[in-house]
Amino acid sequence: MTAAVRPDAGLKLAGAAVFGTDLDVPGMLWAAFVPAPVAHGRIRSLDLRAARALPGVTVIGPDDLAGLVGPGERDSERTLFAEGEIVYRNQPLAVVAAPSLSEARAAVAAVKVEVDPLPIVSDLEQVFPEWPGSDADASPLIAAHVRARHGNVDVEFRKADRVVSETYRTASVHQVALEPHACVAEIRGDIWFVRTTTQSPFGVREDASSLLGWPESSIVVEGTWVGGGFGGKGACFLEPYALLLARATGRPVRLALTYSEEFRLGRTTLPAVVRMETAVTAGQIRARRVRLLLDVGTSLPGRDFATGYSIGFLLGPYRTEAFEVEGYAVRTHKPPFGPHRAPFAPQCAFVVESHLDHVARELNLDPEEFRARHHWREGDTTPLGQKVGPFGLASAFERARSTAREWRAEAPPGHGVGIGCGFWSTSTGAGGEVRLRLGPQRLVVLQGEREIGSGSVLAGLTAVAARTSGLPPERISIEYGNTAEAPFDSGVYGSRTLGALGRAIEEAVTALRRTLAQRLGARGQAELSIERDEIYAEAGERRAALVVLLTPEEDAAGGILAEGRHFAPPRTIDEKRVLSGSFYPYTDFTGAAHVAEVSVDPATGAVRVERYAAFQDAGTVVDRGSAQAQVEGGVAMGLGTALTEEAIWSDEGRLVNDGLLDYRIPTLDEIPPIAVEFIEGFAGAGPFGAKGLGEPPIVPVPATVAIATRAACGAHVTELPLSAERVARALKLL
Amino acid sequence: MASFDLVVPETAEEAIAALQTLAPGEAAPIAGGTNLLFDLEEGRIAPRRIISLRRLPWRTLDWNGGALTIGSTLPLRSLEDDPEVRRRHPGLYEAVRNVGGVALRHRATLGGNLVRSSPASDLTPMLLALDAEVDLVGPQGDRRVPLDRFLQSSRRTDLRPGELVRSVRLPEARPSAFLLQRVRPANDISQVVVAVAFASSERSWRIAVGGVPPRPTLLPEAAASLGSGRPDPAAVRRAGASAASHSALAADRRASEEYRRRVVGHLVERAVAMVSGGEGFPA
Repeated sequence: MTAAVRPDAGLKLAGAAVFGTDLDVPGMLWAAFVPAPVAHGRIRSLDLRAARALPGVTVIGPDDLAGLVGPGERDSERTLFAEGEIVYRNQPLAVVAAPSLSEARAAVAAVKVEVDPLPIVSDLEQVFPEWPGSDADASPLIAAHVRARHGNVDVEFRKADRVVSETYRTASVHQVALEPHACVAEIRGDIWFVRTTTQSPFGVREDASSLLGWPESSIVVEGTWVGGGFGGKGACFLEPYALLLARATGRPVRLALTYSEEFRLGRTTLPAVVRMETAVTAGQIRARRVRLLLDVGTSLPGRDFATGYSIGFLLGPYRTEAFEVEGYAVRTHKPPFGPHRAPFAPQCAFVVESHLDHVARELNLDPEEFRARHHWREGDTTPLGQKVGPFGLASAFERARSTAREWRAEAPPGHGVGIGCGFWSTSTGAGGEVRLRLGPQRLVVLQGEREIGSGSVLAGLTAVAARTSGLPPERISIEYGNTAEAPFDSGVYGSRTLGALGRAIEEAVTALRRTLAQRLGARGQAELSIERDEIYAEAGERRAALVVLLTPEEDAAGGILAEGRHFAPPRTIDEKRVLSGSFYPYTDFTGAAHVAEVSVDPATGAVRVERYAAFQDAGTVVDRGSAQAQVEGGVAMGLGTALTEEAIWSDEGRLVNDGLLDYRIPTLDEIPPIAVEFIEGFAGAGPFGAKGLGEPPIVPVPATVAIATRAACGAHVTELPLSAERVARALKLL
Repeated sequence: MASFDLVVPETAEEAIAALQTLAPGEAAPIAGGTNLLFDLEEGRIAPRRIISLRRLPWRTLDWNGGALTIGSTLPLRSLEDDPEVRRRHPGLYEAVRNVGGVALRHRATLGGNLVRSSPASDLTPMLLALDAEVDLVGPQGDRRVPLDRFLQSSRRTDLRPGELVRSVRLPEARPSAFLLQRVRPANDISQVVVAVAFASSERSWRIAVGGVPPRPTLLPEAAASLGSGRPDPAAVRRAGASAASHSALAADRRASEEYRRRVVGHLVERAVAMVSGGEGFPA
């Protein structure tokens, strides 16, 4: 394990970092949702009178919105409360505030709701026991339908030496951030002010504006310290409700989820079914057909991003002459789909790797050789027609094979060693803007993202600023500003922080160094250094303490100012290959190859991961400690997806295991020693050619464990997670 | 969580008196609190008074020849850390060390585990296989009840109003083994628990299973098929098959019925082999 000291470690160790769940403002009220009692139904009546009659209680239901929302245009499809029809269990029907949490709960219990239940769509395969037909597009159950095609698919399949077809199923997994969602809202004059635990303060502001009808300029969002996000805190969620209650009561209002609510209301990865067909001729993949049914819960039609984005991960990272791909986003009575660290990509990699391993075995080919031969390399074209940029996958795979050979030589009977691959791309998103202030003693970076625990903001950006300025890290402060103070940024998601804000810092520091060189009467960029506690600038023959180079205005402002912006590099796919729906290009190509040694109990099917190695394409490693911690964390989290994590939804649309007792993330007992090695030199879109590392390390994990399991005992499991019972079934023990 | 009075008696008599003055359900004793606090938080119970047992002199571990008496408020971690327990009751040691995590075992007690009477208890199958007896104190005096009779179903025991579990008595050290199967090896509720012991004094086997409602149970038929000494492989298989056909094995969210049967049969065979092949097995 890594031993890196984070800039925020002391604060957190001392308990001085205030997380969203810690927020406690004098005089605040406690809020709670009135949850829908069924997953689908028509509301016959919602009687809030008894709740309203309780002392100190304020209730806001659908009929109360008119007096509270603003004059602006509101999102008509996304409603704050179920209006008329309930579409998922626990959907908010109303929200209450009271002087204490127990009084708020008593008020919730006093609400009377009468519902006429309607039929519930819970299971993908119950809706579409066969593949959706040509009439499916008209179905209200289809939120998105994406199709793409290239080459002579039918001819290749007809001519093929061998066609291998399989069906895979993957489970719903939750982010399980340690800290549940929480916020405190208050009205400060004309300003709707909310402090919240979020990956995206500006995203919350934008969404709150469109839900409340008040302009963004009247809403201020201040991020707290975040106790883990993993994608689950990327969107606006509790904030509009707390703001409305604050407006209605004139008091600060706290709305926080219990951990069970976090499970029941969370937006996360839902179940999927994938059909894979591969045509092989002369040991080469000639064509592939990929079909995906993705449960997107109550995601709105036309707003599904996941299907088109993730389906690309079912095609790569393997050369394919011809392909046909079709994906349906299917609406069920569950909360909307939401991102979970590399949304759905670990599941895709599990399917692709397990399938190609199986194809090679069916053809009596060496599965690793077979995969290696088809890996994308720089200059290849992806199935969707994008040129592959610098890509370290093949190098990572080579290193993984050499480790796998060593481990195989040492492995006792009953153990198996396997390699899994995966890829991801930094999603640069909108924004990426910073303001710098270089004073006589410090370089301060003002920006709008909160550290969410990954280290990307505080450790990563500090390292970028240090490397570009030449100043030691202890001379650099990364300061957070709320949405009224900091420049715009879209948030900590998509492995983008280091890339987007890092590039902005690079630009701003370069501008600063140019300015200083000019002031020294030289060209190019000044070098910065420390002498007797002072920052010095040097260019050409001249050298001076920074303090003497400042204008009087700069002196008053505390230093010389600069701004930096990052713009995502343009990337395109070949739209001619797209038949319907949206597919997306990649900003860069980040590969990884992992090796696992597992043991399998031949009598019970229980899989234990004995040791693990990750070979991670990183472009350039900017901060080694954080980078290594990201890989270790990604592997640990992926082991949960691989082996034990499974949110179980009943036929009534109820989440059966809505707690950490029966939704099982790995404990330290199940996490083996993890060796991490970085593959550098294949440049990405970030500063110094860095690639984002938040998400890539989780992608290959379920695939790696599945392939190692097959190597250990022969069990070919086509369903995630690889529970002992599923392995036992694959071994025909049951 | 509603408010309550906390009472901390110094003696068993005071504790019983404090328990007795209120109607059942209005007063609740607390030892480690690892179950009680959940029940309070989830509103499953709402006592007016909570009686802490922490000052009672029951955190004890006493050997008397081969017999072991375990005080009901002794933290499980102390039981686990005792080298004699580990040497003379290997199965019990394994059972205890698999309960929850270390932090939980520093608080949780044997008495609390028995009174909760969970079908999924990791401890009771082993205690059943060791013919444990429960020593109770109460307003009508002390009494001793075999564990098999004390446990009834989930949250139901033979405990009478005003009574407290003082200790658990294991009459003799026995070669024993404990095995479990869980979705996640650590910190999980077991799908299946198997405990096997050989009663050297009477040369007979005990097999107990847990992890299924209504409560962990002894399987005398499966045990009888092992005979009165070291069983041959065919007898071991018969015992496994007999255990696997135990009627209470059923499906729930943790495992299917067929998987439970498969695993119970296998774990019984494995545990019997561990006991009969172990050092302490009588010739």
